[in-house]
Amino acid sequence: MKTHFKTWLLALIGLTVLSGLPMSSAQAHGEKALEPFIRMRTIQWYDVQWSTQKFNVDDEVSVSGKFHVAEDWPISVPKPEASFLNISTPGPVLIRTERYLNGKPWVNSVALQPGGDYEFKVVLKGRLPGRYHIHPFFNLKDAGQVMGPGAWLEIGGAASDFSNTIKTISGEAIDMESFGLSNGIFWHLFWGLLAAAWLIWWVCRPLFISRYRMLEAGLEHELVTKNDKLIAKLILVGVPVLVLVLNEITANRYPDAIPLQAGLDQILPLPAQVNAGTVNVDTLKAEYNVAQRSMVLQVKVDNRSQSPVRIGEFSTSNVHFLNPALSLSGVMTGDNDITSPGLSIDDDKPIEPGEQRVVTLIARDAAWESEKLDGLIRDADSRIGGLLFLYDELLGQRYISSISAAVIPKFS
Amino acid sequence: MSAHIPVSTFKPYRGEKARLARAYDYLILVLALFLFIGSFHLHFALTVGDWDFWVDWKDRQWWPLVTPLIGITFPAAVQAVLWDKFRLPLGATLCVTALLLGTWVTRVFAYHYWNYFPINMVLPATMLPGALVLDALLMLTNSLTITSIFGGAAFALLFYPSNWPIFGMFHQPVEYANSQLTVADLFGFQYIRTGMPEYLRIIERGTLRTYGQYATPLSAFCSALLCSLMYPLWWHIGKWFASTRYLTKI
Repeated sequence: MKTHFKTWLLALIGLTVLSGLPMSSAQAHGEKALEPFIRMRTIQWYDVQWSTQKFNVDDEVSVSGKFHVAEDWPISVPKPEASFLNISTPGPVLIRTERYLNGKPWVNSVALQPGGDYEFKVVLKGRLPGRYHIHPFFNLKDAGQVMGPGAWLEIGGAASDFSNTIKTISGEAIDMESFGLSNGIFWHLFWGLLAAAWLIWWVCRPLFISRYRMLEAGLEHELVTKNDKLIAKLILVGVPVLVLVLNEITANRYPDAIPLQAGLDQILPLPAQVNAGTVNVDTLKAEYNVAQRSMVLQVKVDNRSQSPVRIGEFSTSNVHFLNPALSLSGVMTGDNDITSPGLSIDDDKPIEPGEQRVVTLIARDAAWESEKLDGLIRDADSRIGGLLFLYDELLGQRYISSISAAVIPKFS
Repeated sequence: MSAHIPVSTFKPYRGEKARLARAYDYLILVLALFLFIGSFHLHFALTVGDWDFWVDWKDRQWWPLVTPLIGITFPAAVQAVLWDKFRLPLGATLCVTALLLGTWVTRVFAYHYWNYFPINMVLPATMLPGALVLDALLMLTNSLTITSIFGGAAFALLFYPSNWPIFGMFHQPVEYANSQLTVADLFGFQYIRTGMPEYLRIIERGTLRTYGQYATPLSAFCSALLCSLMYPLWWHIGKWFASTRYLTKI
């Protein structure tokens, strides 16, 4: 007994000490939880940037960028016939005021086309002060969430500074934070009081044991009185009449009411941004070296442009492998993106106009493991996807090609 | 077997026995209230779920079909106990009141204070008018068949019109992003729900369009038919739970 007491006492002290330790709240959004082949071969984000990362409540901030919908869409993932560009937030600490896809405003879900290129912009407005980890991401129907680059946003000011007023078609200005609340509370109280009166009417008299005994003794007729029946008749007639009258009054008050809108937006892709045909890249082979944590890609580059090009970046699932031989200050990445100078090329000389060259790229970094992308080799679908960025240093042009190939693991 | 008491030997409780019986009433009432708040609320949240959580899920097809169909379950079961054993016609009203208490607590504390949603976006629906009618009808007819057919139907048919005074105003049209939305739709767009993309809404999906745009009455009558079947099913589940087999003396 004494031994048990000590054990419990120690456990209690331990728990008390642990509960006193500073704890940080979880700020991840399951970015790495989705299978790597889905993260790499569905929505391929690039050039994502925030207008600012420090602002006040009621101020607007926007996130914009581009994404390519992989041509090599996994067979096991339903096609993106209903997709929703969302923002990962811990609740509505920001509200979404505008959203554009290829310059067109849209509010519903959208059908994306594999192989299509899109640019997006989402305008948000600070609602609650704090420091939040935010991602743009795509909800893909029946597939999951494909996260875009994350960033930390700091919202200053006071929650009371927030306002959100909109206008209905009839011109009535409404405050979204309180619209319909007092009306809703009123009707809940109204029906609640009627219900409470009915309950109290019965609860005021002896209930369970007394009534059970009387029922068993055959005194049922004494349990329900004439007054009870009169009130029940009033309810039976009065409540439906009241409901219908109130419904009619409301219908007349809002004659323009419409059903909830459930359309699917159709927005065509931009003219090709990726695989635009000027510089073509064909992936010949992909090997993943487990020991070296490196992806070896053999690609054939066909430069049909007027200037020499060089390979500058390979990007997949928000991990950017940069060629250190090029100064790529313009690469936009999120706060939580991995940017690694680990891209090496066996023949890094500029590829001349009209030249076709087979080159071997090695993208080496621990990020393959830390981002749980190396799980690809153990997946049911072990094909890699990503974007290869080639640069024309003379004209300042950028060409983007998608990479896609089955991955062969090498264990030594 | 139950504790049959011959009327010739029946004596009402008096004095200490009456006081104890009354104390027992209150004890059971408080326990029942918390039991129904917890269990009915959980049952409702897991089945009706988003249709009741969000203002932009309360459509004219699925919401009036699903909500009464699930909402009539516990009232039927509890009525079976309270009416059959005690001739207390308050089972439906008690259940729905308990559900609303639990729902309001959740909406205010979990949705508003914990997850920052404005309460008007997560206003619950009411089923109290239907519950009152269900209780009154059972008491007046003392018939499972009539209550199933007419009470079940009334419970479903009264649902949409009794909630229109609360939610009608959220269906006013708004011009937004080059399209027409309802105020309710706009709530769904503006107040970000990470795990709730627009396409997840099961609204306006179905083939109840034979009579043009009059989807709501069709849904309500479909729900009325189903409620008439659901009611006796759950009545018998309630009866099954309310055995007095072991009560031989009282």
